Amino acid sequence: MEFAIISTLNGVTYGLLLFMVSAGLTLIFGMMGVLNFAHASFYMLGAYVAYAVSSIFGFWTGILVAPIVVGLVGMAVERFLLPRVHAHGHAHELLLTFGLALIIEELIKLFFGDFPVNYQMPEALRFSAFEIFGTGYPFYRMFIGAVAVIMFTVLWLLLTRTRTGIVVRAAERLPQMAEALGHNIPIVFMFVFGTGAALAGLAGAVAGAFYPTNPNMGIELGVIVFVVVVVGGLGSLKGSLVASLLIGLFSSFAVGLDWSIASMFDVVGLGDWARSVGGLLTLELSSVSATIPFALMLIVLLVRPAGLMGERN
Amino acid sequence: MTKFAFGAAMALGAGTLGAATSQAEPLKIGIIESLSGSQTSTGRLYARAVKYGVDRINAAGGFNGEPVQVTEYDNAGGASEAADKFRQAVADGINIIIQGASSAIAGQLTEDVRKHNLRNPGKEMIFMNLGGEAMELTGDKCQFYHFRFTTTAPMRITALVNAMKKSDALGSKAYAINQNYSWGKDVQAAVEAAASEGGYEVVGEVLHDVNKIQDFAPFVARIKSAEPDTVFTGNWSNDLLLLMKATGDAGLDVTFATTFLDQPGNIANAGQTALGHYIANNYDNAATPTNEFPEAYKAATGAYPIFVEGHSTFALGQLQEALSTLDFKGGDINVTDIAMALENSVYQSPLGPISVRKEDHQTIRPVVVSKVVKGAKYPADGTDMGFETVEVIPGEKAIYPVQDNCQMKRPNA
Repeated sequence: MEFAIISTLNGVTYGLLLFMVSAGLTLIFGMMGVLNFAHASFYMLGAYVAYAVSSIFGFWTGILVAPIVVGLVGMAVERFLLPRVHAHGHAHELLLTFGLALIIEELIKLFFGDFPVNYQMPEALRFSAFEIFGTGYPFYRMFIGAVAVIMFTVLWLLLTRTRTGIVVRAAERLPQMAEALGHNIPIVFMFVFGTGAALAGLAGAVAGAFYPTNPNMGIELGVIVFVVVVVGGLGSLKGSLVASLLIGLFSSFAVGLDWSIASMFDVVGLGDWARSVGGLLTLELSSVSATIPFALMLIVLLVRPAGLMGERN
Repeated sequence: MTKFAFGAAMALGAGTLGAATSQAEPLKIGIIESLSGSQTSTGRLYARAVKYGVDRINAAGGFNGEPVQVTEYDNAGGASEAADKFRQAVADGINIIIQGASSAIAGQLTEDVRKHNLRNPGKEMIFMNLGGEAMELTGDKCQFYHFRFTTTAPMRITALVNAMKKSDALGSKAYAINQNYSWGKDVQAAVEAAASEGGYEVVGEVLHDVNKIQDFAPFVARIKSAEPDTVFTGNWSNDLLLLMKATGDAGLDVTFATTFLDQPGNIANAGQTALGHYIANNYDNAATPTNEFPEAYKAATGAYPIFVEGHSTFALGQLQEALSTLDFKGGDINVTDIAMALENSVYQSPLGPISVRKEDHQTIRPVVVSKVVKGAKYPADGTDMGFETVEVIPGEKAIYPVQDNCQMKRPNA
């Protein structure tokens, strides 16, 4: 019971962090059809901007300024870079953002150095939210989770319940019709991209204080974020949330389980034989826990290529 | 690839001198290091220390009547790129190649060097391995032209166990959490092997993916349920930092026995969580009896030696020692003679003598065990924390037996 509760708690908070980072990516793809490879770099940029600002003006100013700065960078990218390759299709957009990711990483190294920087949460936030089975549960993990939940709710309401949301969705479905009705589509797209980038920036600012802020953080999280978006269904916000939580829970439970193929043989009394063979048979689930998201992605792609909640194939 | 003609001014001076006599052959060193990619930070430090060491050789008159030349090759953190850059180094006529940031790359390079030397008698190359700690490099893959100038898992773990036991910090229950590849497995095996000597019981072990885990909270929950006193880990980079942070956040009261806690950024990022944890490594500034070496290094490079810089400088010092026993009188450089001289060399490092074990070319070297404290003599990462020396274990006590599977083929034997 203790194991189940703690693993669920850890899995859910980690899943919410993943959602926080992937929300912007999903938004940009869902509304614009651009697969933004530089998304994780925006996440890293957010952490570094927050670090730079917070060292002078305090933690909360950093959290506020980071999404704004990163959002502006995102808008500039959408305004000045993407239109040039748009006519050539998705592959070119992907390559452009891939190049951008490499440039952002090297620029970060240039300005902030190769080592992790000392970006910390304020001491006021460093306490245990509650005690569970004798272990303190860090408040900041709850904070990350809360930010993610708020992010999802606001985005969801904005897209489905407001006029802005209707215009954005119209711009995605029938851009020419929306334009004919007097909406400035390029501006709409610019703001959508900016918002997506700003969300990544916010995620970086919040998570960077919990995880180390270093020049590799973009690459480290970038791959897993793509897995989330693919599993959830490209462009589906709800799908991303479900996929994030699934991956969080799977990874968390896998660590605590000593399962191996050999232990399955125990059921039929061949366990000792399997252990004597060794190799793949005795490989513990916990030692490959980071591989589980990818296995999940493989299965989802085989069974339901559009992703859990994706609409199109 | 960047080329650094070392001491360009000196080279010019020597060139004009040399023109009068005859053109001597310079000794060429190639650094094949991770200068871009995710291990840049470590690769840079190795390169900086090697340059410092070569500058000292050149300041003392170079070798064979010429300044020693150094070329940097960027392996971008991958073994295949390293193999590529090795071929480039061969084409450039490099005599000694140096690498430190990765065991995987060391494994590639030692094989490349072995094959090259088989196929090109008379044009041998030496591989100075500054940081590849995988046991197989002095085991299955051991060869005459490979020299390891760093510790291995058993040396670090035995040192940790001895020093921590002496200061009553070890406890009776130990946990081993390590990365799931050769190094992590070596550490785990070493922790098991030292159990009876240290008087502890291994209450749990886990191996995990390398630098892919973002959330260590589940692992901390697992460690907690085993209730250890000490947690041994060979983790480096993010895997160490995230593990320590997750432990601190959960309020788990254990002592960490680590091997790479001195990686820049770790102490600052871990903050208070780092206090009281132990590390065993090759060198620490606080362990030197006089300030001479750290101050000299600072004067030359602008900063005290950190992380891998100390022991890398010693490796170059040992090479200098070996070269001083040789004289090719400005003629062809015989790399096999240099290797023989390296075998016999003893370098007096600030922490004690370092020598080469002839059977497997592992260096017999002192190991420093330190503890993170507040108000340290050499503060780390701009914090008020740093390392305090617990014990310096002399080389002969730290060394482990030669591995059975090392069958070194010596030249002309």
